[in-house]
Amino acid sequence: MTTAPSFPRPAVSGAGAATDPAAGTPETLGPPPPARPAPSARGPRRRWLRAVVLAALVLATVAFVYPLLWLLSASFKPRAEVFDNRLVPRTFTLDNYVTVWQEAPLALWLGNTVVVTVLAAGLVTVSSALVAWGFAFFRFRGRGPLFGLVLATMMLPGAVTMIPTFLIWNQLGLVGTNVPLWAGNLFASAFYVFLLRQFFLGLPREPFEAARLDGANNWQMFWRIAVPLCRPALVLTFLFEAQASWTDLMRPLIYLQDSSTFTIPRGLKALIDQFGPGGESQWEVVVTASVITTLPMILLFFLGQRHFVEGVATTGSKG
Amino acid sequence: MVRRRGAAAAGTSMVVAALALTGCAQGTGDEGADVDFSADGSPSGELSVMGFGTGDEIGEVRYDRATQDLEGVDVRLAEGELDIQAFLSAVASGNPPDLVYANRDQIGTFASRDAILPLDECVDAEGVDLDAFVDTAVEQVTFDGSVYGIPEFNQVQVTMANADLLSAAGLTVDDVNGSDRDAVTAANEALMRTAGGTLSVIGFDSKLPEFLPLWAKAAGADLLSEDGRTAQLDAPEVVEALEWAVGIYDAQGGFPAVKTYRDSADFFGAGNQFATGVLGAMPMEQWYINVLNESSPDAPMAFDAVRTPDGDAIAFASGSAWAVPRGSENPAAACRFARLMTETDAWVQAAQARADARAQDGLVFTGVLTGNEEADEQIRADLVPDDAPQPWQDAIDAMYEANDATFALPANPADNEFETAWQDAVNRVLNGQQEPADALAQAQDEAQQALDDAWARWDEED
Amino acid sequence: MTTPVAPALPTPATGGSREAPVRRRRARPSPSERRERNAALRFISPWIVGFVVFTAWPILYSAYLSLTDYDVINDPTFVGLDNYREMAQDPKVALSLWNTLVYTVVQVPLYTVVALALALLLNQAARSAGFFRTAFFIPKMTPPVAVGVLLLLLFNGQYGIVNEVLSWVGIQGPSWTTDQDWIKPGLVLISLWTVGSAVIILLAALRNVPNDLYDAARVDGAGFWRRTRAVTVPMISGALFFVVVINTIAGFQMFTEAYSAYFGAGNSTYRNDAALFYVIYLFQEGFQELHMGYASALAWLLFVVIMLVTVVQLVVSRRLVYYEGEQR
Repeated sequence: MTTAPSFPRPAVSGAGAATDPAAGTPETLGPPPPARPAPSARGPRRRWLRAVVLAALVLATVAFVYPLLWLLSASFKPRAEVFDNRLVPRTFTLDNYVTVWQEAPLALWLGNTVVVTVLAAGLVTVSSALVAWGFAFFRFRGRGPLFGLVLATMMLPGAVTMIPTFLIWNQLGLVGTNVPLWAGNLFASAFYVFLLRQFFLGLPREPFEAARLDGANNWQMFWRIAVPLCRPALVLTFLFEAQASWTDLMRPLIYLQDSSTFTIPRGLKALIDQFGPGGESQWEVVVTASVITTLPMILLFFLGQRHFVEGVATTGSKG
Repeated sequence: MVRRRGAAAAGTSMVVAALALTGCAQGTGDEGADVDFSADGSPSGELSVMGFGTGDEIGEVRYDRATQDLEGVDVRLAEGELDIQAFLSAVASGNPPDLVYANRDQIGTFASRDAILPLDECVDAEGVDLDAFVDTAVEQVTFDGSVYGIPEFNQVQVTMANADLLSAAGLTVDDVNGSDRDAVTAANEALMRTAGGTLSVIGFDSKLPEFLPLWAKAAGADLLSEDGRTAQLDAPEVVEALEWAVGIYDAQGGFPAVKTYRDSADFFGAGNQFATGVLGAMPMEQWYINVLNESSPDAPMAFDAVRTPDGDAIAFASGSAWAVPRGSENPAAACRFARLMTETDAWVQAAQARADARAQDGLVFTGVLTGNEEADEQIRADLVPDDAPQPWQDAIDAMYEANDATFALPANPADNEFETAWQDAVNRVLNGQQEPADALAQAQDEAQQALDDAWARWDEED
Repeated sequence: MTTPVAPALPTPATGGSREAPVRRRRARPSPSERRERNAALRFISPWIVGFVVFTAWPILYSAYLSLTDYDVINDPTFVGLDNYREMAQDPKVALSLWNTLVYTVVQVPLYTVVALALALLLNQAARSAGFFRTAFFIPKMTPPVAVGVLLLLLFNGQYGIVNEVLSWVGIQGPSWTTDQDWIKPGLVLISLWTVGSAVIILLAALRNVPNDLYDAARVDGAGFWRRTRAVTVPMISGALFFVVVINTIAGFQMFTEAYSAYFGAGNSTYRNDAALFYVIYLFQEGFQELHMGYASALAWLLFVVIMLVTVVQLVVSRRLVYYEGEQR
C-alpha cells in the first residue's frame, strides 16, 4: 500500500532508522568517486593526524560491532553467564540453539517471513518501476502536480491511515492472514517511485530512439530496454524493501494472531514476552532468538552490500 | 473524450468500492446468534485454544485426559499467556479462537465488550457442578447472574523467606509476614545489603504493583465496593498501604534499583534468589513453593501465610478461567473441553502424577490449589503429606491456611480497566513520577469513569 | 550504464521539455497529447488505485471515525467532538506527546552530529574508508525488535556492559531500563547505534564537495573549524537537511524498539510511562482497548503535529540549505 515515509520502509516503523532513498539525481550509478587525496600539508603533522583519525575510527568500529559480538557470544552461554559480559564464553554451549528451536516454531516463522518478504519486495519493485516509468518517460499535463502528490504521500505518517486500513482488511476477512503484510505493495510505494524515477530519468536516449524506429510500443520499451538498464536500481529497491519487510513489527502485531503465522519480528517479540523480564527471565533464549533473527539480515547485507551502500549514498546527494 | 470519461468512471468506481469496503462500518459481532453448547453425541471438528500451555504435569495430564475424551476433535493450542490485544483483535476481526484461557480478572471486561459468551447453557449441557468450585472464584466470573467463565486454579500468597538470612539478622518469619508493618520495615533494613553502591541483597520485596490489594486489605480497606460499582482507591488506608510498600523499596535505593536487580535473577532455576541468598523475604504466589522444591530443594527456606495485624492469614485470590469467545466455531467442544479440564477427577489424576514424579525424585509433593474445592480436599487428604520435612511442611500448611482465608475483588464489568487504573497509579509512584496520594486520586477518577461506563452498558441491556 | 544525458527522454509525440514561457489560455489536449497521457496513466494506475483505496479514503474515513465511538465488534456511535474533548483532558496524551517531543528534539541533533562526525572521519581515511563504512552500517540491519532486546541487556543498570564501561572511567551509570529519567536517554543512545546509513549519505555528500573550495579557504588562512563551518557544512547542507527531516518524521513515530522493550504481554503489571511514546499510546488505544474512534482522533493530532513540524523545517531550509544548482 502506498504508505508514508518513515524509513526504512514506508510503514509505521521505529526511529533511529534514518534514511532510505528519497533519491536525488545521481550523477552516475557507479561506485562513489575515489577519495580525494589528502590536502597539501605533508609530513609528520599529517601523519599524526591520520593516526588520530584512524584511532577514532577503530574505537567507533569497536563500539558499533561490539553489541553484535556480545549478542553472538551470549547465545553460546548458559543462563547464569549471559550477563557476565565476557566476550569469550566461560562455558561454551550450543544448548540454547536447541532450546530455542524447541520452544518456538522458528523454522515456521522463518518460512513465513521469507514468503512475506519476497512477495512484498518483489511486488513493490515491479509496481514502483511501472509507476516510475509512467512519470519518467511520458510528458503530460498535470504530471508535475500528480508527482507532487506522490511526494506528498511520503510525508504522511503511517499512523493516520493505520486504523482505516485495518478496517478495510477486516472487512475483506483478511485479518489473521499475512496478506495485509504484502498485498499493499501491489500499488507501488511513493518512496521507490521517487527513487526509480530518478534512475529512469538518467537513462540515455539512444536505445529508445532506436527502438521507436523499430516500431516498439511503450510496454516493450519499458520491459525490454528500461528495465534491464536499470537493474541495479531494481535490485536496490528489492533489497531495501526486503529489509524493511523482514524487520517490520507493527503490521504483524496488528494483523497476525495465531503464532503459527508469525513473522520473525513478531515471533521474537512473543519470545521476549514469554522469556524476558516480565516472563520467565530466560534471557539466553531471547538472546539466541535475536541472533537467529539478525543473521539473515546480515547475510543479506553482505550479499547486496554494494547495492545497499551505493543506494543509500545516492539518496541523500540531493536531499 | 471517451477516454476521459473512462478515466473518470474508473475513478468513481474505485471510490465506490472503497466506500463499500469501509463506509458501511459495521460491527463484526453477530447479534445474539443462538449458540449451541450441546453436542449430540461427541463433538467433532477443530478446537483452537488461546492462552493455555501444557507446561507441567498438572497441565499435561489434564490436557491428555481431555483430548482423549474428545477423540473426534482436533485440538490446537496457541501457547503463551493470553495477549489481550491479540485476543480482542481476533474477536474484532471475526476470527476468534474457539476457546480462550484468561485471567479471572479479565473476564468482566471481555464480557462487557461482548467478546465472550455467557456459559449458563454450557453449564447445563455439560453438567458442570459450579458448587464444586471455590466460591470466590465463581463469583469473580459471574455477571448479571450469568457465569462467563469456568474457573481453573486458585492462587494465594504465602510469605517466603530465606531462613539463614533471617536468623543471621536475629529475625523470625513473624517479622516478615506482614502482621506488623513496622517489623517488616525494620526487617527490610536489617536484611538488605549493598556492595559498592549497588544492591547486593534485597531485604524485603513488597511485590508492587501486583500485591497492593493484599496490603490494602490487610489494613482493612477494599479497593472496590462490594457491589462492584464504586472504586475506593483513594481511601486513606489504601494510600497508607501504598506509602508503606513503596517505602520498602525506597529504603533499598528505589524501585528501579530493586527491579533491575530482580530482572537479572534466575527466577525459575537452581540459581534463584533464595538459593543464592540475595533475597530476604517476600510474599509470593504459592505455586513458587513447587518451583523452589524442584529446583533448589536444599535452599534454607522459611514459610508462613501472609497475616493481618490480628495474626489471621489473608490472601488475595486470583486465577484463570476458561471462556468461550463470541464467534467461536465450536462452542460445544469448547464447553466440553472446559468441563473436562476442571472436573474433580482431572485434578486428582494430575495431582497423582505430580506426587508420583516427586516421590521418584525424592522430593516433596507440596499440593496444588485447583480452584475446585472438591478436588482440593481430595488431593489434600490423599496425596499431600502432613509429615513432610521442614520447611516444606510449613509451606504446605501456610498454603492451605491461606486458601481458606481468601478474598477477591468483587466482580465488575470493567475489571481490566479498573486494574489498569490502579496499577498505573502504583507504577507512577514506583517510577517516582507522582506521590501516592495524587496517583491514587487520579486512579480513582479513571477507575470510577470506567466502572460507570461499563455498568451503564450492563444496566441498559437489562 | 552509458553516460546519462539531460532530463527528458524522447517522447513519442510532443518533443521538447518545457512549454514556452508565454502561453495563452490552455488549448484542449491534442490527440497525441491525450494518447501520451493515457499511456502514462496506464503505467501509473497501480499507484493511483493504491492512493485512493489506501491513502485518500483512509484519511477521510479516519476523520469520520475520530468523531465516533467504535470498537469494531459493535457498530460505531456518533459522538461528535467528544473524542477531542477527551484528548484535551487525557493526561496520557500530554504525556506521550511530551515523551515523543523530548525524544525527537534530543535524538535528531545528536544523531546528525554523530553521523557528521563519523562521516568527517571517514572522509579523512581514504583507502580504509570502505571497511569502516561497512562496520558502521551493519548494525542498521539488525531488526528493531532485536535492538529492543539489546537495549534491555546492554543497558541493564546492574549488569549491563554500558554501565561497566562507564565504571572504568569512574562514572556510576544509572538504571537505564527502569529509571524514568534515563529510559529516553537509553533509547536515544541505542538509536545512535544505527547511525550508519546517515553516515553513508553524509560521506557521499562530503565527497562531492569540490576541492577547490577548500583550497581557496585554506589560501585565505582559514583553519579546520573555520573551513568546516564556512565550506563543508553549507555544501552538504542538502544532505544534512535530508537526514534531519527524515529522522524527525521517524522520531515522531518511534514505536518498535520501545514497544519491544517496554510494552506488550510480558510487561503486564509493571509499566513505565517514560517510554510511552505517542504511537505506542495510539496503538494501545486502537488495538488493545479497541477505542478505534479515539485512536483515530489521536492519529489526526499526530498528523497535524508532523505536518507543522515538517513545514517549519521546509521553511527554515529555504534560508539555510544551499543546493548546488537547482534541478528540475
